[in-house]
Amino acid sequence: MTHVVTKNCQACRFTDCVTVCPVACFHGDDERLYIDPEVCVDCSACIPACPVGAIKDEFDLSDDEEQWIRINAARAPILPVVRAKQPPLPTAEARRSELGLN
Amino acid sequence: MNAEIDTRIVRGACPHDCPDTCAFEYHVKGGKLVEVTGDKNHPMTQGRLCVKLKDFAGHHYNPDRILTPLKRVGPKGSRQFEPISWTEALDTIRDRWNAIIAEYGAQAIMPHAYLGHQGTLNGLTAGDAFFNRLGSTVAEKTYCESGSSTAWVMTVGPSGGLDIESFVHAKYIIVWGMNMTSTNIHGWPFIVKAQEAGAKVVVIDPVQTRTAKAADWHVQIRPGTDGALALGMMNVIIAEDLVDHDYVEKYTLGYEELKERAALYSPERVYEITGIPAADIITLAREYATTPPAAIREGVAIERSRGGGQAIRAITCLPALIGAWRHVGGGAMEMPIWEFPTNFDRICRPDWIRPGTRVINELDLGAALTGELPLDPPIKSLFVYNSNPMSQAPAQAKIARGLEREDLFTVVSELFITDTAKYADIILPSAMQGEQLDIMVTWGHLYISLNQPAISPPPDCVPNVEMFRRLAKVMGFNDDYWDRSDWEMLQDFYDWDSPALQGITLETLKETGWARINVGLPHERAPHAEGNFKTPSGKCEFKSSVTENFVVPVWRSMYEGMQPGEPIDPLPDYVPGYESRETNPELAKRYPLSIVSPKAHAFLNSQYANEKPKQKRQGEQTVFMHPHDAAARRIETGAMVRVFNDRGHFDGRAEIVDALMPGLVMANLGHWPSFTSSGTAVNSISSDAHCGMGMAGSYSDNLVEVAHVAA
Repeated sequence: MTHVVTKNCQACRFTDCVTVCPVACFHGDDERLYIDPEVCVDCSACIPACPVGAIKDEFDLSDDEEQWIRINAARAPILPVVRAKQPPLPTAEARRSELGLN
Repeated sequence: MNAEIDTRIVRGACPHDCPDTCAFEYHVKGGKLVEVTGDKNHPMTQGRLCVKLKDFAGHHYNPDRILTPLKRVGPKGSRQFEPISWTEALDTIRDRWNAIIAEYGAQAIMPHAYLGHQGTLNGLTAGDAFFNRLGSTVAEKTYCESGSSTAWVMTVGPSGGLDIESFVHAKYIIVWGMNMTSTNIHGWPFIVKAQEAGAKVVVIDPVQTRTAKAADWHVQIRPGTDGALALGMMNVIIAEDLVDHDYVEKYTLGYEELKERAALYSPERVYEITGIPAADIITLAREYATTPPAAIREGVAIERSRGGGQAIRAITCLPALIGAWRHVGGGAMEMPIWEFPTNFDRICRPDWIRPGTRVINELDLGAALTGELPLDPPIKSLFVYNSNPMSQAPAQAKIARGLEREDLFTVVSELFITDTAKYADIILPSAMQGEQLDIMVTWGHLYISLNQPAISPPPDCVPNVEMFRRLAKVMGFNDDYWDRSDWEMLQDFYDWDSPALQGITLETLKETGWARINVGLPHERAPHAEGNFKTPSGKCEFKSSVTENFVVPVWRSMYEGMQPGEPIDPLPDYVPGYESRETNPELAKRYPLSIVSPKAHAFLNSQYANEKPKQKRQGEQTVFMHPHDAAARRIETGAMVRVFNDRGHFDGRAEIVDALMPGLVMANLGHWPSFTSSGTAVNSISSDAHCGMGMAGSYSDNLVEVAHVAA
């Protein structure tokens, strides 16, 4: 049971998601965020919070997105929890435009 | 029509039996409910709903939904029904009931309801006035919370206690018997916030739940031994003189007697009972008593063993002993419904109950229907609404035998054909939350919320309040009780002039959707800083003025008569379970494992357990076992196993986990029996024995054995 952060977080890292998460399940490195599947409660509050639609329910993933389940599960536990909103990456706005999401 | 113009937002609130009672925004487009989201401005909801409410809009359009009244056309339980008109359904009910009343009297009819809906009009008490007027048996609704209610009220009175939002000010938090990240997810962020600000969070639970993992300290306890732990903490607090003597002297009753009682519970003895090392008990007591503000979140799970009520009593004494109530963020939280000025007497009309009317407890349903309870008159008709006893009540097999009775006339009001509804003679189709008006009762925060209808119900589906209007009319009741509109009833069902509702009206709620009641703000609320307990003595009663068992009237149609009445110890104590190695060694030889059956994460009790996305998320019925117990039975993860005792059995897929204590099995509640391979679910093994207070169910006080399912 989990939600996962997928490709679109890369080069963005907006971190709006962490402000709505009731269980502090987001972890991050310098590039992006990951969800700890042992902590996520599947409430979906983070899905609409992400400006680039990076977060998905594991049951809504396309075949080529399935890999993110494994990546989130492997990375999250070894990285620090991100609890407060942080400045997006310098490339975030450009990336959002590229995705046609602004 | 321009679809953009037609999109509108309607304010509502969650219908479910959960402490969070979220504020909704219904999104309606072209007359269709397209989405339901959480209100971002509500301090508790904070814009989020939960896994259970995912696709709540789609839930309204589930193709399996019951859309017309139905009558049974096959054998009982065969799920063979035919649509009929409301007129035929009501006439059938009237004729059958009149015949039963003529032959046996109205007490041969028994209602059966719980919190399948949590509204003021459509919830727990929706049918109370009707059945009181009819003269039926009074049903005592003690599925959940009643044991806690009795114990809490005995100790501190009907107090709202600590506000969940005030937990952010606490420095020491004990979450006692509650998996908040599954069952109180909107309360949990206040605890996370406190933790981030340096509070220590302790979770006391037999299972290492997701909540326990998030805590600073998980204290793993044998089920049903919480009372011993609380008394052990008192023992240390008193022995080390960590007592707030000034508070105790001014605002409590019976300290000397409590001191004597607590002296019996040394940490060493409590270790033997609870399985918690004595050093940990000492640490817990010291930290709790010396880290103000100290807060306790009491979970309902504590009540589900024979001594559950006494355990709640003991735990609820702790804050007064150390003066925790002095502080904002200190004290204990159980359920704050008592702060709301609800006119339950006007809702339930206990004045209509005929003197001497009998009471049957709903958890005794199987015994009542099968002749095990000697009843004169017998139950000849059962009316079920807002409940699904075939999933949620103990002694499932016995209930099934009762519901199979040819001479029993069963009516069920439902959304879907549940494992209970399948036995009905008549099914009445209910409205869903997006289709009806109500004020939602809440037992986890201090906001009153109005649910406004966003869409029309399907033509034949009606809110419970309307169903009882129709029944009242067909039964010939001319009282003006049923002449009022929903709106007028809500006006009458709350005391809008009370201080708690100053500045709040139905009209303002129509605009705002919800409002905080005036009982102190989270950053200043300390309701018992100077006593003010709503007990007979006005004090926190370590030694209770009450000496006989009772069920708080709201759980029994506000009826004061025919209370259980057996004597209860006025001092908190540890009362061992009915089914344990200590109390029943013979039984434990045959059935050596204890079982707990917590709520499923993706279901709300049995609601949503018939819907594919939720089934997928929750998974099939699983039997969680400790590696030692599994190895002793050569059971591996993935094996199909049978959990059984003399009462029944159910099957599930084994999952071997370290999260349990050895000797403990866990299986989630809510899976519909008809969807499992054995056709039964966890309550097939549950005993219908009542706990010592408030007639609560003993769901966590059962012994079982587990074995491979024979190939």
